[in-house]
Amino acid sequence: MKTFSRIVLCLAATLAGVSAAPVVSADAFVQGGPIGSQTSDGYNALGPVVTQPIEFPHNRHAGTRANGGMEIDCLYCHTYARRSAVSGIPRLSKCIGCHNMIESVKEKPRIKTLLAYWDRREAIPWKKVHDLPDFVRFNHERHIQRFIFDQGRPSREACGYCHGDVASMTTARRVKAISMGWCVSCHEKEHRIDAVSFKTGHGPNDCWQCHH
Amino acid sequence: MSLDNLISNWSKLRVRRPQVDQYKDSPYKWAMVIDLDSCTGCNACTTACYAENNLPVVGKKRFLEGQAMHWLRIERYWGEGEESTQEFPEQGAAFLPMMCQQCESAPCEIVCPVGATHHTPDGLNSQVYNRCIGSRYCSANCPYKVRYFNWYNYPESAWPSPLELQLSPDVTVRSKGVMEKCTFCVQRLTEAKSKARTEKRNVQDGEVVTACAQACPTSAIHFGNIADSSSTVAKMWKAQQVELSADKQKKDMKHEKMPAASEVASGVGASVEAEKLRGYRVFEELRTYPSVVYLERIRSGEV
Repeated sequence: MKTFSRIVLCLAATLAGVSAAPVVSADAFVQGGPIGSQTSDGYNALGPVVTQPIEFPHNRHAGTRANGGMEIDCLYCHTYARRSAVSGIPRLSKCIGCHNMIESVKEKPRIKTLLAYWDRREAIPWKKVHDLPDFVRFNHERHIQRFIFDQGRPSREACGYCHGDVASMTTARRVKAISMGWCVSCHEKEHRIDAVSFKTGHGPNDCWQCHH
Repeated sequence: MSLDNLISNWSKLRVRRPQVDQYKDSPYKWAMVIDLDSCTGCNACTTACYAENNLPVVGKKRFLEGQAMHWLRIERYWGEGEESTQEFPEQGAAFLPMMCQQCESAPCEIVCPVGATHHTPDGLNSQVYNRCIGSRYCSANCPYKVRYFNWYNYPESAWPSPLELQLSPDVTVRSKGVMEKCTFCVQRLTEAKSKARTEKRNVQDGEVVTACAQACPTSAIHFGNIADSSSTVAKMWKAQQVELSADKQKKDMKHEKMPAASEVASGVGASVEAEKLRGYRVFEELRTYPSVVYLERIRSGEV
């Protein structure tokens, strides 16, 4: 059974496109540090500390192999990020899709909680960590399309611009301020528009892009 | 816009609008054509606007006090100079849907003390709710009276549970003390532009319409991008010889100079052609350069 679960995991990893080890530029994001600590970019509006119903180990799923992770691509679970405004919380059946097959961890307390939710046919009440005010409209799709699909950057780096290195955390926590000034500090810079071109461009700086 | 950008590009940002060919190199300039001959005054556009843009229903009392929050209203006119013994004649009303005209040289923009209303690159006149402090200067300076102020905290009362579930998540629900107005359904435009950018193209004609244009049963409201000369709306502007940067259109010139008999006979002179033109913009003489063209009614009198 153990071998079988390995195969399933490998299959999942291949589907997610991580079979070739991605080169992640470490400068693009900084590690989080303890919850609520000062951010590297000088902002300190990190919001409340969020306790999740299950302490989900992002590091075990998405972390590097050297650190005992499985390098699953962010977009394997947060799949809506590439095609909609919101990245979405993966549904419970996505967790079960793999975990049904993985006998070796079925007896662990966190997995038991997970399977209990499944047996009760109940969604896990995950809490929002990166919550924007109601008058702000952020579009994940455009950022993912630009950085990952146009520029060919690894998703761990591209997602990390705003979310920090989630792959080294257990439950995600805010390490970037996500304030308007912080968004604009990136939008007003000239960046190369894709991986091959020397043309540059900057993000939209019109108020109505996000506030309407 | 950062302060550095503001200081270093001051002269560029202070350009007077509109200029000739202002949108020649820009991908979008949203505009409208409203055919008053087709408009039956049915109010479907207003209803669609209420549903699309989370507008509160204020009730009869506040409506009579002039505090209605309808971004798009149907103005009703009776025949000028006609005598009638009744308060309202049996028939013969003329209708004109009036919403924010998205002026190129908008009177509201220059008076806002906090820069909550400004011009977007698409030629729209934006209203940023979280920046607005409710000074109401913009409304005072608007000749069309299409800006509406939240005198009450409508989120508390306008949508009693479970009606709050009908609110569109793409549009901010405005609270007390904030000015609001027609946005040309900017949430739809943003979505269409994002989709087009992902597919590496521009927004096509007809791909995105405002809620009022979508709801109009007689297709009196046309919406589109006049920066794209092949779009329906651009063609209609051209056919009506309406210039974005002019403060008087060909149609109105016909009233000034009657063509000489020889001109009529030989078919020369623009005024002959002008007789057929119907396109005009409201209060053009104020030099607001609106983005909405109205087509004059052809049918007259009682139907």
